[in-house]
Amino acid sequence: MSVPQRKSGSTGPRTAAPSVGGGLRGLFPAHAARGFVTIALSTLALLVVCVIFAPSSVSGGALAGSLPFAAVLAIVGLGQMLVVQQGGFDLSVAGGVSLAVVISTHVPAGDNAQLLPAILMAVALTLAAGVLNGILVAVLRLNAIIATIGTNALLYGAVFAISGGVPKITTPLLAQIAGGETFGIANAVFFALTALVVVAFVMKKTVAGRRFEAVGANPLAARAIGLGMRYQIMAYVFAQMLYCLAGVLLAGITREPTAFQGDSLLLPSVAVVVLGGTSLLGGRGFPISTVIAAFFLSQLSQFALAVGVPYSAQTIIQALALGFGIGVYSIQWTRRNSKRASVEEKNEVLAS
Amino acid sequence: MKSLLRRTNIALAAAAVVSCLAATAAQAETPSWCGPNKASLALLDGFGGNSWRLVTTASGAAEAAKCPNIVDYQYADGQGNTQKAISDINSFAARGIDALVVFGDAGPAVLPALTNAHRAGRVVVPYRVTVGGEEGKNYSKYVGTDSREDGVAWGSWIKETFPDGANILFLSGPAGNSQGMTELEGMQSVLDDKYKFVNPHPFAVTNWDPALTQQVLTAEIAKNDKIDVIVSDFGPSLVGALPVFAKFNRSIPAIATSDGNSLGCFWHDNHEANPDFKLYTRATGNDNVRLAVQWAVALATGGTPPTADTFQAPDFENSVTGKPNQVQCRPDLPGSIYLSAEMSGDEQAKVVNK
Repeated sequence: MSVPQRKSGSTGPRTAAPSVGGGLRGLFPAHAARGFVTIALSTLALLVVCVIFAPSSVSGGALAGSLPFAAVLAIVGLGQMLVVQQGGFDLSVAGGVSLAVVISTHVPAGDNAQLLPAILMAVALTLAAGVLNGILVAVLRLNAIIATIGTNALLYGAVFAISGGVPKITTPLLAQIAGGETFGIANAVFFALTALVVVAFVMKKTVAGRRFEAVGANPLAARAIGLGMRYQIMAYVFAQMLYCLAGVLLAGITREPTAFQGDSLLLPSVAVVVLGGTSLLGGRGFPISTVIAAFFLSQLSQFALAVGVPYSAQTIIQALALGFGIGVYSIQWTRRNSKRASVEEKNEVLAS
Repeated sequence: MKSLLRRTNIALAAAAVVSCLAATAAQAETPSWCGPNKASLALLDGFGGNSWRLVTTASGAAEAAKCPNIVDYQYADGQGNTQKAISDINSFAARGIDALVVFGDAGPAVLPALTNAHRAGRVVVPYRVTVGGEEGKNYSKYVGTDSREDGVAWGSWIKETFPDGANILFLSGPAGNSQGMTELEGMQSVLDDKYKFVNPHPFAVTNWDPALTQQVLTAEIAKNDKIDVIVSDFGPSLVGALPVFAKFNRSIPAIATSDGNSLGCFWHDNHEANPDFKLYTRATGNDNVRLAVQWAVALATGGTPPTADTFQAPDFENSVTGKPNQVQCRPDLPGSIYLSAEMSGDEQAKVVNK
């Protein structure tokens, strides 16, 4: 069976011949450590800069206000990361999150008793969207960007059907669960940490998770040994589940969320994946780094707001951070190193 | 049999008298802007997807229904898509609709389409958003709203409430939006140096998005130890963000803004726990569309145009003086309705819950 090439002329990890060998070197092997160290150091540096130039942005109140949004971004970022690991892009983030938001506000319409059925309904619909994305991309071989734009339009159709585009005040129970605090820390943060632990554990410590990464690193080789399609579909399904979680949380954190609340998460979701060190060509994912990147990006905008720079500068600062992220991970700084790194990466993934 | 006939006659006569009276009453109720000629009217929205627009659209339809000579009423939603908004204008003009009332969200981008419709002999009335061009040349009449006057009113209230000066945080929508700029101009015309704007010039950008408003407000509260008054041109978007003050153990400050049921109810629930929480609102301006419809109908049916050509949002609530109203709240109705609008709260609830 001839396997159609999805990306012609792709370079880097994908074209390297799969070889078995190497070995899993601890929890943070070379490349992971580089990504993790870079984002962790950047975040520390940012915090130091905040303490010096904008101490208000790291005060307790400011963090209490911004962390829930960072948590939502982290969860969305984890979802996007799964798709990026399979060499795709998920542009249905916006629709998925917005749908979860409107279902969890409009269906209960203030009645706590209706909250659980509403959330189940949101989960069911996002599951369907995830399966649809998966089939379009993995089975029908559509370009991921095109397929997910289409799904996004369908999701927005559902958003309009349910909400008519009108915001509704969230139920008190959801506001309490998602917007509340436990031990002085926003509940949304615990949700994000739970999502992180689950994603990291499944991906790094289970057979299915290891295969998932291997398929992303080299789909052609994976197909040759009978892996593939299933894992790609799973990426889109689990991504939608995470968007759903993020949407439900957002509905609770924001008292009167609009019907388009997911729109502003699309670009940041890709940004945190890139800043977290996951290659846009697919392969290994770095959940911990992605979550740290979400905090980094959120803190960066808090810093820009606290310093009081004009809106234009805020946007430029975020763009520079993204450019920095792509620069650190994607540009082949020296040919030799990058070749070695890519072979090493391949070995690590396939050996594990 | 005879008596039955007589009774029927009496009933008929009574019915005739009643219908005569009703007809006279109806004639008396026909407003002066509704002229003798029959006409069709279309309301073209650039973006129809929020509760404010739903109420506004319903208000426009209600106003047009006051004139019996409007024989056909149409509505189109541009869905925030400039191309669709333009093609809506073109298609209604081509279909021979006599009068077009247009909410030109896309600004000057819709001007060529408006100009074509105007040249084709249609009555074209853009409202609320400036589209450029000239009256009589590109369209029939522009019915604006006085954002500067809103700014002046907020500024005056701030001056009354804080005679010794105050730190003001001004929040508006997308960066550089003309509404926010004009409001700032109005405020600055009444406030002197004692009043300091703590936000980045000209206003803190919120895109009128509740989630972004919450984040922006968090940063501003953390940064500024003293915020005496928050000014916002979309009051209801503040509601989600105001609880942030509790995280800093501070009272919600005074607020000058536009009205909304959710904001009014929020004030009722929270003003006791927040001693500094005073509220002053201007009507949010759903009735701007009514003035625009009156102009369009008058020009299309040969009626007498209204005297006003700019919509002046009246004062609505003032928690300090209680004039013209104490803060309003209808907890039984949705938060996303506007009690300042001419349309009753119950009718609005039907519109937004549809």
